[in-house]
Amino acid sequence: MKKVAFKTLGCRLNQYETDAIASHFQNNGFKLVPFDKEADVYVINSCTVTHQSDHKSRNFINQANRKNPDSVLVVTGCMANNAKTELEGRDEINYVVENDQKSSVYSLVEAHYNGEIFHPSKMNSDLFAYGSTDKGFHTRSMVKIQDGCDNFCTFCIIPSVRGRAVSRPIQDILNNVKSVVANGAKEVVLTGVNIGRYEYEHYRFDDIVEQILDLNGDFRLRISSIEPDGFGDKFLGLLNHPKMTPHLHLCLQSGSDSILLQMRRMYNIKRFKEIVNKVRSIRPDFNITTDIIIGFPNESDQDFESTCNIIKELQFGHVHAFKYSIRKGTRAERMTAQVDERIKTLRSETLRKVAEDVKLQYRNQFIGKEQIVLVEKTDGENAKGYGEHYLPVEFKGYELKKNHFYKVKITDINKDIDPVLIGEQVK
Amino acid sequence: MRSHKVIEIRNLTLSTYIIKMEKKDFTFKTGQYITLGFSGSIDRREYSIYSSEQDNFLEVLIKEVEDGLVSKKLKRCKPGDYLDVDGPFGHFSLKEDEISKKKFLFIATGTGISPIHSFIATHPNMDYQLLHGVRMKEEAYERESYQNNNYILCTSREKSGDFHGRVTEYLKENPVPSDTVCYLCGNCHMIYEAYDILEKQGINLGPIHTEVYF
Ligand SMILES: Cc1cc2nc3c(=O)[nH]c(=O)nc-3n(C[C@H](O)[C@H](O)[C@H](O)COP(=O)(O)OP(=O)(O)OC[C@H]3O[C@@H](n4cnc5c(N)ncnc54)[C@H](O)[C@@H]3O)c2cc1C
Repeated sequence: MKKVAFKTLGCRLNQYETDAIASHFQNNGFKLVPFDKEADVYVINSCTVTHQSDHKSRNFINQANRKNPDSVLVVTGCMANNAKTELEGRDEINYVVENDQKSSVYSLVEAHYNGEIFHPSKMNSDLFAYGSTDKGFHTRSMVKIQDGCDNFCTFCIIPSVRGRAVSRPIQDILNNVKSVVANGAKEVVLTGVNIGRYEYEHYRFDDIVEQILDLNGDFRLRISSIEPDGFGDKFLGLLNHPKMTPHLHLCLQSGSDSILLQMRRMYNIKRFKEIVNKVRSIRPDFNITTDIIIGFPNESDQDFESTCNIIKELQFGHVHAFKYSIRKGTRAERMTAQVDERIKTLRSETLRKVAEDVKLQYRNQFIGKEQIVLVEKTDGENAKGYGEHYLPVEFKGYELKKNHFYKVKITDINKDIDPVLIGEQVK
Repeated sequence: MRSHKVIEIRNLTLSTYIIKMEKKDFTFKTGQYITLGFSGSIDRREYSIYSSEQDNFLEVLIKEVEDGLVSKKLKRCKPGDYLDVDGPFGHFSLKEDEISKKKFLFIATGTGISPIHSFIATHPNMDYQLLHGVRMKEEAYERESYQNNNYILCTSREKSGDFHGRVTEYLKENPVPSDTVCYLCGNCHMIYEAYDILEKQGINLGPIHTEVYF
């Protein structure tokens, strides 16, 4: 039996695409092995959103090559688009597959073993041709509804590596959801690059969400990362639907209006707060998580302080912060007032502390409350999983099973960097 | 990406020019922008569309930026050259149901007047006032396109305009009725300041109402 190993960097969309490709390999008799083990095929689904992600991708390429120099090494994802020439020039890499052809990775490898060598650019370029992710790595089943982005934020390289916004036909999405639910998925996660901008015929994002929520079945729906400009009151009205999970990852990027304008973001702080307040008026403990860029060109101490203040004010459940790094070809690359790396590091440290305190405060409020936990790992008596708010929960119970929902009473919290809620099954 | 043939270059000042290109089957919503560069070149920049939706050509208004790469190169293009056009992009656009009903205030600095020109050329019957912030009078690009009473030139470096000072100073001295629909385009600092002033005057601005150039 041939062995295949995957490494995924970056966003959830990449994670979904890896899951789907992995299922494709498994359905065709490949054994999935951890990335640090010897395999016949290594697939690195790369990211290029920061310098650090490029660096990590390069390290994983080297690692795979060291483990088995004779393996078939495939590099796909955003770095494959952005640094194609460099990657194609490396002998140890067999195939550099751009995002458009990513869904064909299995076919490419299959052809390779049949002695046919195709150039990846000749493969199918359907952005939504991924099969289901039933044999993937997670109990959550991701469904891709959209790809690409037309927003052109000044820091962002995604439009040039993922391309223009394209939406998947609504019927395909509904069929996909029905099929994953029929196959036992208990949690469906909508994914894409900018899902709020979904537009197919006259259907918008809120129409998709509404129609999915109306489907039968024992599942809950999670919206992954979403831009604050992509939805209106209809979507907010759907947030108290029993199948909807109370969690949104709303990308803020900065707490300063001046910086948001220079980033060419499509909202200001007032609008962002309005959204958060509306959401929390539906459910006060709603988990809102976010992304922050630290040290964007021209970010002053005052701008940075505004960012820290808004994190405290809006009580984000989690902040995914990263230091701004120049991406070639973006408008921000040409901005003159780049922030010194040492200042970025200091600000990161400050922000990390603020975000950790806020996260602990946010999670503390769940002690004494109940969560419906979807179990991802269990030995029958102890289980780990995520509650509806997308908070990690560990609990004790009786005859616990993976991929089942359990009502759990939260009794305590373990105060790690990522504080885990501790609880007991409610019989 | 499509290749469009250049028809004409109109120099408005020593540094500012209009490139007129064939339109082919390109369609857009007034207010949107394209990215533009010489055919085959990787250096491309965003430019708002200056012409109207109904014109059978495509125009952009560009100012050559000191030490700028693309704005300098494009200035040297000649009729017959080919430029790569990608787009249209952007959400800086009028709401259909407001166009004939509302009173508009457009605030632009420099070449930020470009999408406003397109708005007005596409909908000549709009009820609008236009505040154009520049340094000198010669930067009142194609002023004759606008009805005289509706165009207010704010010059910051000389007294030759209709108002001597920045657009933000004009706004403070001339408050805007709160039922006005405002659109702001150009320099980020102007937009940031004007935004604040307008909000204090009771104007509600959504994300589609600003377009930051730099
Ligand atoms: C959505 C959008 C629409 C735009 N529409 C237009 C338009 O209609 N007409 C137009 O002339 N420009 C427009 N711009 C600006 C344009 O895209 C370029 O930035 C500009 O032409 C400079 O490019 P460059 O390659 O010559 O200079 P670069 O090499 O990119 O930049 C050199 C320096 O000049 C600064 N700079 C950029 N633009 C200006 C400016 N206008 N004035 C002063 N300094 C500047 C930059 O911050 C940089 O530090 C628009 C920008 C955006 C984002």
